[in-house]
Amino acid sequence: MKKTLKYFLILVVVVAIAATGFVVYVYNKPHRNVAKEKAVTLTAEQLYHAFKDNEQQANQLYLDKVIELTGRIAQIATNQQGQTVIDFNTADSMVTINCTFKNKPPNIKVGDSVHFKGICTGYIPDMNVVMNNGILVE
Amino acid sequence: MYTKLSLLFLFCVLSIAGLQAQKSFVTRNGQISFVATNDDDVSAVNNEVASRITTNGQITFSLLIKSFFFQYAEMQDHFNSDYLQSNTYPRSDFKGNITNIQSVNFSKNGIYPVTVQGNLTLHGITKPITVPGTIEVANNKIIAKARFTLLLSDFNIHADRVAKKVAIQFNCTYQ
Repeated sequence: MKKTLKYFLILVVVVAIAATGFVVYVYNKPHRNVAKEKAVTLTAEQLYHAFKDNEQQANQLYLDKVIELTGRIAQIATNQQGQTVIDFNTADSMVTINCTFKNKPPNIKVGDSVHFKGICTGYIPDMNVVMNNGILVE
Repeated sequence: MYTKLSLLFLFCVLSIAGLQAQKSFVTRNGQISFVATNDDDVSAVNNEVASRITTNGQITFSLLIKSFFFQYAEMQDHFNSDYLQSNTYPRSDFKGNITNIQSVNFSKNGIYPVTVQGNLTLHGITKPITVPGTIEVANNKIIAKARFTLLLSDFNIHADRVAKKVAIQFNCTYQ
């Protein structure tokens, strides 16, 4: 009887530790770190054409992937949460690569050609290819 | 003959003027957020909403499911892979009309209550929705806001363990 109780108590403790561990893991799992992930390298033009020509195929290739791009800055803006958003030119003057940056990149201006990477979240026809978690690549 | 030609000319000029009078306001970085009605922890925000409002009352928006940011990365993963299947359905689109557009004066600052009616496509399913909101005109800037609730099962989203309903907050500033 005493032995059973002991095993039972040990079991309770083990389960409690496992449950705590799981909760801690779930609440602390870090967001993706773009700087450390391997990227697919392209130009802004190539990324735009891939989506414009075949959205489904481009989704399979680029959705959720870290993309490393070179692009010419068309516009620098701030979103409603205060994050820096940069639009990059494509062959179509109405469509941009819209990338939200983690931090405001220093010393950049409209017309500059910059090298950066970020996560591609998809394509909105006639508007933009969307990227976020952007960082400049040295 | 001459009168007919001048009438035609007048008609053309007026039509072009009419087209130009229809102005549109655009944003690529509007905001839509949601929170589960039964659990405040289940919430996310999307700051990459593309939307357009034209002065004749048309309103559209598109957003990418993968652009929703959750505080908890684990939740974001489940949201994308288990509930919204964002690889298969990467985008959500809305196309509709402001039914009382005549009550909005785009050239006069103010907050105008509106009703928006249209079709929302989410998770591969298109449903008509009608939501109340406001359009604020502030010195050439337009701010559209709306709050409404979606029943997830209407869009074939089965997340019963987490949430059955979500409260959506639409908040877009247009240029």
